[in-house]
Amino acid sequence: MRVGVEFFIWLAAALFVLGLYGALSKRSAVMIFMSLELMANAININLVAMSRFLTPNLMTGQFFAVFMMVVAACEIGLGLALVLALYRQTNTIEVEFLDQLKG
Amino acid sequence: MFVLFFLLPRTVRNRLLFLPIAAMTASFLLSIPAFLAVWPGGEKAADEGLWSTTYSMGTIGLKQLDLILRLDAYSAMMMVVVTLVALAVQIYSLSYMHGEERIGWYYAVLSLFTSAMLLVVLAGDYLLFYMAWEVMGLCSYLLIGFWFTEPAARNASIKAFLVTRVGDVGFAIGLAIIWLTVGSFDFHVVLPAAATWAPGIATAAAFMLLFGAMGKSAQFPFHVWLPDAMAGPTPASALIHAATMVAAGVFLVARSLPIFIASGVALHAVLLIGTITAFIGATMACVQYDIKKVLAYSTISQLGYMFIGLGAGSITAGLFHLMTHAFFKSLLFLGAGSIIHALHTQDMREMGGVMKKMPWTTATFSVGALALSGILPFSGFFSKDFILDSLMKQHAYVYYAVALLSALLTAFYMTRLWIRVFVGEPRNENFDHAHESDLKMLVPMGVLAILTVVVGFGIVAMGGFLGSEGEFPNLLAASASTLTALAGIGLGWLLFGGGRDMEALRSRHSLVYQMVSNKYYLDHVVDTTAADYLTLSKGVNWFDKVVINGVVNGTAVTSRWLGNKLKLMQTGKLQTYQRLAVAAAVLIVVIAMLMKGV
Repeated sequence: MRVGVEFFIWLAAALFVLGLYGALSKRSAVMIFMSLELMANAININLVAMSRFLTPNLMTGQFFAVFMMVVAACEIGLGLALVLALYRQTNTIEVEFLDQLKG
Repeated sequence: MFVLFFLLPRTVRNRLLFLPIAAMTASFLLSIPAFLAVWPGGEKAADEGLWSTTYSMGTIGLKQLDLILRLDAYSAMMMVVVTLVALAVQIYSLSYMHGEERIGWYYAVLSLFTSAMLLVVLAGDYLLFYMAWEVMGLCSYLLIGFWFTEPAARNASIKAFLVTRVGDVGFAIGLAIIWLTVGSFDFHVVLPAAATWAPGIATAAAFMLLFGAMGKSAQFPFHVWLPDAMAGPTPASALIHAATMVAAGVFLVARSLPIFIASGVALHAVLLIGTITAFIGATMACVQYDIKKVLAYSTISQLGYMFIGLGAGSITAGLFHLMTHAFFKSLLFLGAGSIIHALHTQDMREMGGVMKKMPWTTATFSVGALALSGILPFSGFFSKDFILDSLMKQHAYVYYAVALLSALLTAFYMTRLWIRVFVGEPRNENFDHAHESDLKMLVPMGVLAILTVVVGFGIVAMGGFLGSEGEFPNLLAASASTLTALAGIGLGWLLFGGGRDMEALRSRHSLVYQMVSNKYYLDHVVDTTAADYLTLSKGVNWFDKVVINGVVNGTAVTSRWLGNKLKLMQTGKLQTYQRLAVAAAVLIVVIAMLMKGV
């Protein structure tokens, strides 16, 4: 059968949900970042697929996906730096222990 | 003056006593020209008033509400009386209250009281009258309870305030009736209109006002607070409970007399209440041991006389007696204070032979006593006779008889007091170092004594001034009352002259004596009725504590509980917030989809 855009959308959705699940339920900060990365990439797939199937000449989606990849990379760098600083303070990277703002 | 004194600390104000005295002197001096200004006007001035100021207080509904000060004949006369007596009392108090720690406060309240009384007499409308009336009640409470460390004084001041308050409720209802009927509180609007009211309304209004007057002026059955009020300083008693505050009720009825006349029933009630009060006041005075209490019951009795005068339809009779009474009663009280100060006791059984040691006090006190008994040529004779005369004119023979009998008793108990205190063997251990009072106490007494003698002759002039004829009593009436007075004196001499005690009287008429001694058991009656009311009060209290507080506190408790529950949301954990955010986003999307009907 012909591979249509729906296939890629479903794929992206599945990846997104998996990433979401990981972001919400992982204990380790690094794992949360990985899940966020997964979500970002799912979105990239979505973008590229849409662009390819709907408006191939413009290639808007591809451009945007490249932008997003750059941003994601920066974000990860920053995030891991934060985790490092956090580890220096509390000697753990588990987000469970960060409840000083508890009300 | 009150405000100033109130704010100053005790030590400072104790030294500034000359200020209120200066102010009082100024007031007195000002009141004289005011009086003289109104004097020639006579009848006209009584109706229209010489001068008035209006302060607008805004509107109730559609009607204008004003506070009016108006100077007319009644105001002018009362102003002179009030400021004079107040000045006398203040000078007297310098000596009597000397060394008292809180004397500054005493003068402050005294000043406030005098200003309130002056406002009452100057008020041109019922509202201002009522407000000043209430302030006087407050000052009375403060002064009676001046020595608040004494339980007697505390209880008496509360009793006074509550009893007069009950009357004030009636007064307030009367004010409401007046407002609803006429739409104004202004005397000049209400009083002329009173003649056009339906008798029912006039009666209702009159009775309610009478209620207030009865409370303030210690008429039966609201008289119970006055004897107990003697727990306060004597000069304060002289001012408040003899001359001025208790006269305010009489003044109220006098001002409102057109309303009473419009309702014949109310006028009759005034007469009846006055007569009863005069009689029982006199009887109770006969069996008291405490000088001040004798004078207190005497005041009750004389106030009854004033009401009789008013009830007989004659403003002049009532107000003239008010004036003379103010002078001689305050004189008597100041004299009593002088004696108490010297002998350190208030109990007549412990006195005697004061005449030898304190001639001036004796002289002035005797003038007052004779005036009270209604002996020619003292002022009391003229005013009391005028009242009796008015009764005769109304052909109210029964009332006349009772009033005459009360006059006899008045002379009787004054004689008894006089003999006990001034004559005979001294029964007091302080007697030896008792001495005549100093000038500051004697001069006011002397001035009042002179006035007591002189004022009586002014009856014709006062009559014209106050708006109805005042005449020298006709020969028949005069002789009747003089004979009665002399009979009273004679009776007193007979029973007490030789230093005999009251044992004779008591043994012969023990039942009557019992009843009169116990104030006709009126206090007991009040206590029993009050007990039922107390249960009601307890019930209401319970409701207030449990239910209403429950609601209020419950709101707080519920809020706190809710807050605690919501607090659980704030875990401080990253993932909790994430989950919440995602859930909220999903919710929004779902709702949006549903609303678009996807």
